[in-house]
Amino acid sequence: MSNFRRSQNEAHPNKTNTILTGIILLQILFISMQIWFLFGALNNALEENFGFALTTFIGSLLMAIASIWLLRYIPEPLQKRPTKKPEVSPSRDP
Amino acid sequence: MAHEDPGKEPSWKADFPIESKRATHVSRREFAKFLGLLSGAFAVSNGFIVLRAMAFPPEKLEGEQFVANVEDVPVGEMFQFEVGEEKIIPYILIHLEEDQWRAFAQKCTHLTCAVRYSKEEKKIECPCHNGWFSADTGAVLQGPPPRPLPQLEVVVRDGKVYVKEGES
Repeated sequence: MSNFRRSQNEAHPNKTNTILTGIILLQILFISMQIWFLFGALNNALEENFGFALTTFIGSLLMAIASIWLLRYIPEPLQKRPTKKPEVSPSRDP
Repeated sequence: MAHEDPGKEPSWKADFPIESKRATHVSRREFAKFLGLLSGAFAVSNGFIVLRAMAFPPEKLEGEQFVANVEDVPVGEMFQFEVGEEKIIPYILIHLEEDQWRAFAQKCTHLTCAVRYSKEEKKIECPCHNGWFSADTGAVLQGPPPRPLPQLEVVVRDGKVYVKEGES
């Protein structure tokens, strides 16, 4: 049985690819910024800049939540329909 | 119990594949999940810095601490001393000019190498990575150090040199 989603996926197979690439690129962007924040916090927290450490922590936490939230939108892999096993009617049994 | 699609491989079976090729293959879905985990780990590390800063606030020098007698440090020379009780921090006392004294932390703000006062240049030098600080203010003049040197206020009284925490 076919539905709209299956038809769409089969008509546009590149869409899954694009969504997944986009999600990974966004996550890499978030992680790069988190590395930057962490470096800054390490450098500044040592010198009584508590406000900076706290601000970077809040930013980093928001980006972590966004990165994990993005995982909701990872598309399911396109799978081939399972081949139907040939049904053997009892009447054909020898 | 939820009804499972009979054509779909169950999760437990997908996690422990029989073929070695499938076991070593990292799909983009798995990579994205790993990135999510990594992102969480960075946030936790950043939180750890905040907790540590809250748990161990930097201790301030209370009152005045005697460092040296005036006649022990001639003009243009530096004298090494330490402050702190639990956490000992090395400092240097510099006799810049007559009646001009400065006290700075001896650890370079780049990678904590010991800095020294260069009499010829009249600047503070970090020999490890060629970093230079102003002997007057402790500000970075050149090189990789990201911050100025922490400074203590110097008080000279009755031929003795004391240090205390600055007003700022």
